[in-house]
Amino acid sequence: MSDPNRNGQAYGFQAMTPIQPGMEDDLRAHLEGMHAEGSPFAKLARTHMARFVIVPDFYNDRSWGQKEEHLDLQYLIFTSNLDGDIDSYLDELCDVVAPDAQEIWGRCVGCPADASGTALKKYLKHNQIDCGFFYAAYGDATVGKVQAALAQREKVIAFASRTQGLDPAELQQAFVAEFGGK
Amino acid sequence: MAAATPKVDLADLQGDILRAYGNDYDHTTYAFVKIECPPEQARAWFADLLDHVTTAEPWTKGKPLTTLNVSVTAPGLAALGVASEVIGTFSREFREGMSSRATLLGDIGPSAPSSWERGLGTGDAHVLLTINAQERVDHRRALGKMRTAMDGFGGLRIVYQEDTALLEGSREHFGYADGFAQPAIEGSGDDKARGGGVPLAKGGWRPLAPGEFVLGYPDEDTRVDPKRRLPNAPAAPLGKSGTYMVWRKLYQDVAAWRRVMRDAATLYKDGDEEKLAAKVVGRWPDGSPLVTHPEKPDPKFDASKSAANDFRYYDADRDGKRCPLGSHIRRSNPRDALGFEGHLSFRHRMIRRGMPYGDELPAGSMKDDGVDRGLVFVCFQASISRQFEGVQVQWLNTGNLFALGHDTDFILGDPNGKGKMTIQGDPPFFLSPQEVFVKTRGGEYLFVPGMTALSAIADGIA
Amino acid sequence: MSAQAPSAGPVTATGTARGNIHGQAIAITVFSTIKWWGKPFLPVLFAATKRVPKLTTTLVQLSFIHFARWSVITELPYNGPPQKKQKWRYPHMYFESNFNGGWEEYIDAFSHILTSGMTAFWGSSYGFPKPLPTAPFKAYIQNNETEASHYYSAYPDATTTMINGALDIDRKFAPLKRSAEGMDPDAFAAAWERFLTDSQHAL
Repeated sequence: MSDPNRNGQAYGFQAMTPIQPGMEDDLRAHLEGMHAEGSPFAKLARTHMARFVIVPDFYNDRSWGQKEEHLDLQYLIFTSNLDGDIDSYLDELCDVVAPDAQEIWGRCVGCPADASGTALKKYLKHNQIDCGFFYAAYGDATVGKVQAALAQREKVIAFASRTQGLDPAELQQAFVAEFGGK
Repeated sequence: MAAATPKVDLADLQGDILRAYGNDYDHTTYAFVKIECPPEQARAWFADLLDHVTTAEPWTKGKPLTTLNVSVTAPGLAALGVASEVIGTFSREFREGMSSRATLLGDIGPSAPSSWERGLGTGDAHVLLTINAQERVDHRRALGKMRTAMDGFGGLRIVYQEDTALLEGSREHFGYADGFAQPAIEGSGDDKARGGGVPLAKGGWRPLAPGEFVLGYPDEDTRVDPKRRLPNAPAAPLGKSGTYMVWRKLYQDVAAWRRVMRDAATLYKDGDEEKLAAKVVGRWPDGSPLVTHPEKPDPKFDASKSAANDFRYYDADRDGKRCPLGSHIRRSNPRDALGFEGHLSFRHRMIRRGMPYGDELPAGSMKDDGVDRGLVFVCFQASISRQFEGVQVQWLNTGNLFALGHDTDFILGDPNGKGKMTIQGDPPFFLSPQEVFVKTRGGEYLFVPGMTALSAIADGIA
Repeated sequence: MSAQAPSAGPVTATGTARGNIHGQAIAITVFSTIKWWGKPFLPVLFAATKRVPKLTTTLVQLSFIHFARWSVITELPYNGPPQKKQKWRYPHMYFESNFNGGWEEYIDAFSHILTSGMTAFWGSSYGFPKPLPTAPFKAYIQNNETEASHYYSAYPDATTTMINGALDIDRKFAPLKRSAEGMDPDAFAAAWERFLTDSQHAL
């Protein structure tokens, strides 16, 4: 029975945690302040893409013929598209993201007082939501592989552009110098 | 399935939008007027102008010597006394203005608004008068009359003016025949459907809904809407028969272009300099499309014939070996190249009415002579953000949709001067350096009101 | 996040709120309320889509999306007060995508090209208008969409197409790298040309 959260070696993790009433604005301010360049996820090398979204409530429109339904509290959604084993990823996250974790999940209902390590991991797993359908365009490629391939593409293009017109011996020499004999 | 599209009311529409005035009008002046008097006074001048505005009605008594068309910027609407709640119904990008969207449009570095012509992009341009003329003398005379009228009213000043004239053979300054490929529009009476419309799966074409270009009419979304809703438009009576206009002054560095192409051609094994340059553009200088004539121009090519524009990419040239994937005309109008029955491109068409400006650099010269020359780019569309900006941002400033990475359109140039273009072939050729061949010298977003709307503005009831 | 530096790459993330953008990557997050019949239907749809690769062929060809997911949520884990035990009348569907290019172009592509796919995935959501015409569908998505408070990509300057192209190049380049040094120069030059010819769609 295949894991619904897996596509190739990629894994789609999601946790939806209730926010402590009254702490929503502070939480939002902290999240928005984590500019992408200084994102805690930069320290989690197995993360392709991740997000934090605050959902205040469900969207209700009477004209749609449904009865109104509301969330009891505002909720924090955390999703990550990551490589490989989820348990070791969560271990890493709960270790490496510690200061931010306190400001983020530390403001959620039921989070352990010290938002780190095994206690935090247990909290996140408790609130995990499985994917129904998880799509990955390159699910077999890790973050490292993607980054290396992108860098290599740049190098190949630059090399191809500047070696047009070289004779075969010069070309080969330049190639080996640039890319090595491996 | 679709109900018959209502015919466009040509008497209510300004001219040169659905149908071009044509190449007999080889002189065009663009005069940007700033209103420095109270709105009521400005409206009196505006009302006076309207008697001379040329509509889209067919000419039954021969061609007029000159034509006049009027368009307005968002600050211009305010200066004419249009209520701010009404201005609020115009599109967001129009209200923001082109210069404040410079980063989005790629107008950075040498093309940044800080380097623009004085009078453009500062909010001082209010009303644009476009005068087309068959002879230079008539064009001077018409402009002279405008200026006299303005002086008569007082408090009106031309903050920027560009005089333009067609070049020999209707070419632009890099030497390419330009302007003859336009969208085919239902009910416009122009037989441009072959090549100008939406490519159909079985090989034909169909014209585009008029609402893609003129507000108040069904657009492509309306066609598939059981409720036949019309697209967003400014509040009545200003929206109907109106269109949004993009005006951009693009300086062309002809010397740099010639030099780069000459130097790169020494390494190009598949042909000479002319062929390499044609690969960048997608056409030969005479306008013959590369995709149908990959080795040399078509001796029988006639840009004025309706079949001239009837070509496609997907079946004959999916891999770009005839007409490169990144060539200018393929990027700016992909036709069926992206597959999916043209659905990724059909809502991004524009009507182009630009004119070259400035004297030509003598043939063969590769030394910049300091002369200001280039293209005044003008286009009309129902939505600036979907049509003009969509193409500029998603098709020209980045190559992702065509699997070209971040390669920008080679002709427009890379503000960092570092890009390249891949010329597909066996093997491919990498063309560089991508110097800055084109610099934006200024621009505005404008609205071209219909005749009823113009009167409403002049009467102060908007 | 600076929007001014030219070396940061082209601005392509148009039509969406700033919180959803990291370089070329765009986040979209949508919740919708599901009608009763969606509860049995959607898991079947998900399973079928996984089992029949042809159903995702168009999605792959469009090449806009890095990662996306749909989840049907019928209840939420309980964490103690003040959270209440959720007793929802309706199931709710969570959708997120990580994609490239303009928001409007993205939705347009789904409306025009993945019309039946959109209807299958969204048809059981309350308020879902048909994918065509595009204007009401876009309004629906906008109403149901929530801006991210934080969004991160490990490779913000890259698009899905570039990544797939780069991975394809790597597959073709690796053998050439390994054998380059030991080859006869003419043979190497020919092999290099062959590599360029085979990879040009990604170069």
